[in-house]
Amino acid sequence: MSRRASGLKAWLVQRISAVYLALFGLYLALYFAFAPPQDHAQLAAWAGSPWVALGLLVFIPLLLAHAWVGIRDVLIDYVKPLGLRVGLLALFALMFLASGLWALQALILVQVG
Amino acid sequence: MTAIRLSVYRYQPDRDAESRPAASDAKPFMQTFEVEAPPGMMLREALLAIKAQDETFAFRHSCGEGVCGSDGVNLNGTNCLACITPIAELNQPIQVRPLPGRPVIRDLVVDMTQFYEQYRAVEPYLIRKDPLPEQEIRQSPEDRDKLDGLYECILCGCCSTACPSFWWNPDKFHGPAALLQSWRFLADSRDQATEERLDALEGPYKLFRCHSIMNCVEVCPKGLNPTRAIGKIKELMLEQSV
Repeated sequence: MSRRASGLKAWLVQRISAVYLALFGLYLALYFAFAPPQDHAQLAAWAGSPWVALGLLVFIPLLLAHAWVGIRDVLIDYVKPLGLRVGLLALFALMFLASGLWALQALILVQVG
Repeated sequence: MTAIRLSVYRYQPDRDAESRPAASDAKPFMQTFEVEAPPGMMLREALLAIKAQDETFAFRHSCGEGVCGSDGVNLNGTNCLACITPIAELNQPIQVRPLPGRPVIRDLVVDMTQFYEQYRAVEPYLIRKDPLPEQEIRQSPEDRDKLDGLYECILCGCCSTACPSFWWNPDKFHGPAALLQSWRFLADSRDQATEERLDALEGPYKLFRCHSIMNCVEVCPKGLNPTRAIGKIKELMLEQSV
């Protein structure tokens, strides 16, 4: 993100992702509260069904983008030493990247397996 | 008349540093005073009564009726203007501290330099590109109405010094008071520097450190709403960029 775009764009990403996260999060909460899968096969079948898979595919990057804007805000607010801030930002960036790829792998495995 | 107990913040960094060689010895402390409180007494009058008992006690005040914005203090944990805040109903001893997050000069007197620097940074005046007319710049009553709730700010600093984002980044985040004034000129039909003003607010700090905590709205002694003004700036920014 460029220095110029880091204000408005970050804020916009946060707001738009929040809407999707709220809606899909509500669906997830209701699904697991009222019709939870009984075993792994059911869970895999649920996650592999086209609409749920699409929903999850959108959910994961938006969740990570939202988390990134949030954690970046926290670090900008509270962590002043530049080295520490950049180090923590890099740490979270790597963690989020790894989580995203791991989740993507899981989704692909559900599809092919 | 009833007696009221007040506990006020005392700190004189300069004098304490002089009388005691190690500057770290200079420590703030709370001192309790008892003053007679006639019905309807405002905090400013109680502070004046304390000053009559101990003339070394320092605080800022001037007009005494909520117009000049000099006597912003932190009362029982909430920022307010001392001159328009009644004290009869408050929990005793009433705790009076300086505005939070600002360097203390002496007792309740704080250094507001950064606050004024942020105010200056938003260029709080009309900017015209067209040649100035012979007489006044006309404005419709509807356009004038858009400035209500914005122009009334007296720059007491209660809002910005109650804002956690301003505590953490007072050198980079404009703070609610300055941003309210920024919107006051963005919303003014006579101003012609909208684009420059918006460009100057970009980046993660000046505007976007606001996390809508809304302490500013809660404490504003004039009942203004800086959070809403900040939201309007973001909206306008969005409108101009998509």
